[in-house]
Parts: sequence; structure tokens; C-alpha cells
Amino acid sequence: MTNSVHDMGGMHGFGVVEHEDSEPVFQEEWQRKTFGLMMTSLGTLQVNLDHVRSRMESEAPATYLSLGYYDKWFLTLEKLAIDKGVINRDDLTKLAMGEDVQLDREVDPIPAEGMLAFIATGATAARQIETPASFKVGDQVRAKTLNPSGHTRLPRYVRGHIGTVIADQGGQIYPDSNATFSGEGPERLYTVQFQATELWGKDANPKDTVCIDLWEPYLEAAP
Amino acid sequence: MPHDSHDHDHTEPPSDLALRVKALETALTRKGYVDPAAVDAVVDTFETKVGPRNGAAVVAKAWTDPEFKQRLLDDASAACTELGFSGQQGEQLKAVENTDDVHNMVVCTLCSCYPWPVLGLPPSWYKSHAYRSRAVIEPRAVLEEFGVSIPEDKEVRVWDSTAELRYLVLPARPADTDDLSEEALAELVTRDAMIGTGVVQA
Repeated sequence: MTNSVHDMGGMHGFGVVEHEDSEPVFQEEWQRKTFGLMMTSLGTLQVNLDHVRSRMESEAPATYLSLGYYDKWFLTLEKLAIDKGVINRDDLTKLAMGEDVQLDREVDPIPAEGMLAFIATGATAARQIETPASFKVGDQVRAKTLNPSGHTRLPRYVRGHIGTVIADQGGQIYPDSNATFSGEGPERLYTVQFQATELWGKDANPKDTVCIDLWEPYLEAAP
Repeated sequence: MPHDSHDHDHTEPPSDLALRVKALETALTRKGYVDPAAVDAVVDTFETKVGPRNGAAVVAKAWTDPEFKQRLLDDASAACTELGFSGQQGEQLKAVENTDDVHNMVVCTLCSCYPWPVLGLPPSWYKSHAYRSRAVIEPRAVLEEFGVSIPEDKEVRVWDSTAELRYLVLPARPADTDDLSEEALAELVTRDAMIGTGVVQA
């Protein structure tokens, strides 16, 4: 979902940033498990990161704001497992209440060595594209006013505003397409620098800027 | 979502998240979607092997080796790989350098994107609604809360990680550290300084 509360850049009212100099990586055992399960199952569930984000954002705004970070991860992973037909909610409830349900092996998991190798190498989102660049470094561009109903990485706070292209990052998987399993649909990505005064008005510091990575379909030439 | 629409017909799942996580773990494990040993190995990696000490080593090397610093600014993923730091959420790393004119600061307003191979998993505050909402609109106020004051005539440049590029701030080397070894310099480099909410002090 696009105009949901996860797109919170520029909002007011969340208070001070509660800051600890150090903290454990995970506070609770279930959080450790949730992280590990998400990381190890996305490959076998055949779910990409853009889809994960889109499912996480699909929580109702009030719910999204009320949930802790790993709560969101867990509820998203539960949704993904149900979406993919691995298990239904009834059976999950039965398992959680200590009842047994029939669970037959369907696929082969990625073993520990495979997961560690994947973590160490990653998988780049960069893609070769043939389409020539519409913009070059130094160009003025406007972030389009778009309100797609699906997943997007174009935050509301830049829509309609003019910035300057500071880097051409080449072809990259296009999240708006990839999130719905409609293909990677790579598009060229640009880093665009906006003056804080352009985004927030005259009270912003005239020196300050925000740099943000935007795909070509999000941009149009600015006069 | 065929099952969701019938939720009200059924027993509510237990509110205890720990029980629900266990249930999902059982289902994913027995159906073959996860290997429990892989789950443990992944968690262990992010708890004990990957963290901000990696980034601190990168920064200290950049401070002491001008050629490495140039490689870092040109292609941070390749430069960090030289030191053994690479992989997921760091495939396209960008190092942004603090200078006399610019103070850099990194956020992900839409979720929690963070350069895992060099900084590990993000701290709670980085993922908080307060930081995600405010870093772009009032970075100086946020920095003040972290004890960082940037002069009015110096640019605060905020990087919002909306794509799969991941940003690492290369902080300024503190004065009077000429006699320190690379290892001793790395000890000074904090996680916050590499996100841009801190500065390195001698």
C-alpha cells in the first residue's frame, strides 16, 4: 500500500528519539527466532524483499503504529506462510495451543552453510538495462505526484518537489513491479538531492538537503 | 487471503507471541521450509560476528590509508570486501564523507534499511517512528538530542535509503590523533558516528 503510515518521513508527533548507546541485538528469544525464520524461509517460500515490505505495510495504520519492530516481522512472516499455502490460521492456532496437526515435508530447506554463504555474498538489485538514461547528473527533476494503490518507494514528502540529480545508479529492480511478483521490471535509479527549503518551506535551514534514491518512473524533467 | 476473511469464526490465536512464533517455526520446519540449524547459524552471525566493529575498522583504515579511502568513496562495497565485510544488505554500499562543509546523516523513512555487513542490525532507535519521521524534516533537532550541534552555516545532508543502496557515513577524524594506530583509531569510532548521529571524539 502506498499512502499508508509506514511512509512517515516528515510526520510530527512521535516524540523524542529514545536512544541507547548499546543494547542487545535481540531483546527476546522469540525475536531471535523471528529474525532467523524470516531470513531462512524467504528463499523456500519464493518471496522477494519488496513483497515482504509490501505485506508489512499492509497492516492497518493503527495496528502498524502499535506493533513493535519484530512483532511486525513476525505477523508478516505468518501472513506470507498463509498466503503461500504452507499452513492455515486454524492449524497455526492449534499448534500454538499445543495440539498437533499434520505437517508433511513439501520442500527442502536451505542448509546452514547455504544460508551463511548467501549472507556473505548477498544478491544485488542492480540490473543491466538497455534503455538510455532520461536524466543526467546536474539535471533538475520533479518527483511526480503519484498515488499508486500498490507498493512504491516514492515517499509522499518528495512528491511534486524539484531536486537535482547527483548520481545515476544504473538499472535496479523496480520495487513497484517486483512486490507483486509481476517481474523485476528493472528501471534506472537516480540519487536526487532536494533542498530542505523546497521540501519543508522557508523555516528549514537553507543549507540543508535530503538525498533520496528514486527510480526513473517516479521522475519527470523540471523546467 | 482466503483464511483471513473467516478469522472471526475461529478460536483467536494466543496473544502470547512466543507461542505463535513457536507454532510457525514448527510448521515451517516440518514442512521443510527452514532448517533449524540454519536459523541458529543466521542468528548467531548477526549476534556475534557482524556489527559496528566492522564499520569502525573500515573508517580507521580510510583515515590512515588515503588510497583505501579513495577506493571506499569510489566503490564502498568493493573496498569493504577487501577487509572481509560483504554480503546481504551491503551489495551496493555507498560511503559518504563528512567534511568541513557537510555533515551526513542516514535514515530509512519507509522501513529500516541499514548497511548490515558494516554495522550489523540496526539499533531500536534507528527503527523508531520518531527517528524515521523526524530525521528528514528536522535533522538538526534530532542531532541535538544525540548531543551533536552542527553550525547553522554547515550543510546537514540526510540520506533516505529508499532503494537497495546502503549508506555508511565516513566521519571526520578527530584532531590530535596522529600518534594513534589504526586499531586505536577504530576503538574511537562509534556506531552512531557511522550513521551520522554522532561525531568521533578523541
